[in-house]
Amino acid sequence: MPSFLERVGALPTLGLGVSTEYGAGQQAGALDPAALRRDHPDFANFLEVGVEIVKGLDDDARAWAARGWANTYHFLDINLDEPEDFDDAWLDAVRRTVAVLDPAWLCGDAGLWHFGGRDRGQMLLLPPVLVAEAVTPMADGIARLREATGREVLPENPPGAVFLGDMHLLEFFSRVAEAGDTGLLLDCAHLAMYQRARGHAPLDGFDGLSWDRVVELHIAGGRELLADGLRWVEDDHGTAVLPDTWEIACAAIARASNLRAVVVECERNAIAEVVPLFERARELVAERFAGTGEFA
Amino acid sequence: MSARLDPRRIQRALVCMMFDPSYAALVRGDGSVTELTAGERAVLRGVDPRGLTTDDMRRARALHVILDEYPVSAALIGVEVVDRFFESAAFRACVFDRGSMALGFGRDYLVALADRLQGVGAIETAMASARRVERPRSPGLGCAPGVAPVCVPDGTLAWYQRARERLGPDPVQALTKLRKPWPNKPPRTGLEHLLIEAKRDGGLALGTASAGLVGLLIAAERPRPRAELVTVAIELGAAADEADELLDDLIADGLLSQ
Repeated sequence: MPSFLERVGALPTLGLGVSTEYGAGQQAGALDPAALRRDHPDFANFLEVGVEIVKGLDDDARAWAARGWANTYHFLDINLDEPEDFDDAWLDAVRRTVAVLDPAWLCGDAGLWHFGGRDRGQMLLLPPVLVAEAVTPMADGIARLREATGREVLPENPPGAVFLGDMHLLEFFSRVAEAGDTGLLLDCAHLAMYQRARGHAPLDGFDGLSWDRVVELHIAGGRELLADGLRWVEDDHGTAVLPDTWEIACAAIARASNLRAVVVECERNAIAEVVPLFERARELVAERFAGTGEFA
Repeated sequence: MSARLDPRRIQRALVCMMFDPSYAALVRGDGSVTELTAGERAVLRGVDPRGLTTDDMRRARALHVILDEYPVSAALIGVEVVDRFFESAAFRACVFDRGSMALGFGRDYLVALADRLQGVGAIETAMASARRVERPRSPGLGCAPGVAPVCVPDGTLAWYQRARERLGPDPVQALTKLRKPWPNKPPRTGLEHLLIEAKRDGGLALGTASAGLVGLLIAAERPRPRAELVTVAIELGAAADEADELLDDLIADGLLSQ
């Protein structure tokens, strides 16, 4: 099998896209991805579909895929470092979902999506423990999911208010990507949370990342909160994107030589509210994605 | 050379710390925490306790799930006692052993409250088990997914159904308004054999069944070699030359599966 850096050339350039999760579009005032594509084609070149197998795909995601429009599959329910989590029933359901969507690749937060078994009331999302011992199990899970689905699997740095382990998050994910021979999804908002939580500047640790493996970026709003004197950022996917997130996105776009996609995560907001976010993101990526999709 | 860390154990302990401030204090303190090595504990001791409570609805959401699946048990023991599940060894076992929170609550936590609950806890635990049709199972001949047998004091099913009616169409809402546990006492004597089955529409069917059938299915809750179940069937009264055929019938009826 060719290495990822050889395989990445076959991945399509998707451009600027938008994300959704099951039922997100049904909430009052929420974003309708198809309407966004109709009204602003260059903001919705593809849809990142958040999938929790027990919930399945909603009508918006199915309709998008049925039109043959580009999409990616964002998993929301696999602890990649737990071999027991790859049970046959779940894998079969993932393969069926992949067959419906025909996504360009799979991606998702490489963290703890559920405690205990995969069961009702046990879903959450915690970042990985940033220690050397966590690298191989995570990389093995990525390779296993890639083999099971026949699609590239891009791990994403998860959000968090608590980060454990002494390795820098970017070094950790760089090691995971190399060990799993895969690409990366860098969530700029999640990275901004990490950098703040650890007292780092937004671009600290950038030299430790294999930027040629970064295929996708996420940009999203975050809300600064104060609890008992602790300042932290809630990953609310709102309309207020932190300056740190924009700074990270700008620097990442300049470095990520194999960048294929940028998602603005804002699924629970009205289109009119998020147009400024997409406009700013479009400015950042216009040069990189010139000649592809709606940028052509 | 330092001992290798197990990141999964660290992460599982972190989950318990997020649900249970007393466990977080234990990890930070000097007392024994046998599930963690000294190195793993050192990683967790560096956590700012304020960072553990940034999601202040985490425990409430999990409690909601338990109340939804165990409404009558909750009415009998009180919501505060249910909520203390998240501070229990039973909850930590669920987290550390990849278990089901709802099943751990019924099978491990409610056991200590059996005198108060009588057969009600067993019924709701069996219902929680039947709902989990997709639960992975070990090899052997055993109860089919979605089938849960249970043996309770006589009259418990009728008592339970009345109690559910009393809680109304939104039991969780009713429980939040409950100021103290119900004083009512479920039946304590005699025996009633029940079979709970998951329906295709997601609901559950509860009904009585023969003592022999329920006994055999209870023996088959942990899948085992067919020969062992043949022996159990004979012990429960099946004719020796018909026990095999009986198992085939139960497989055909969807009550047992390989």
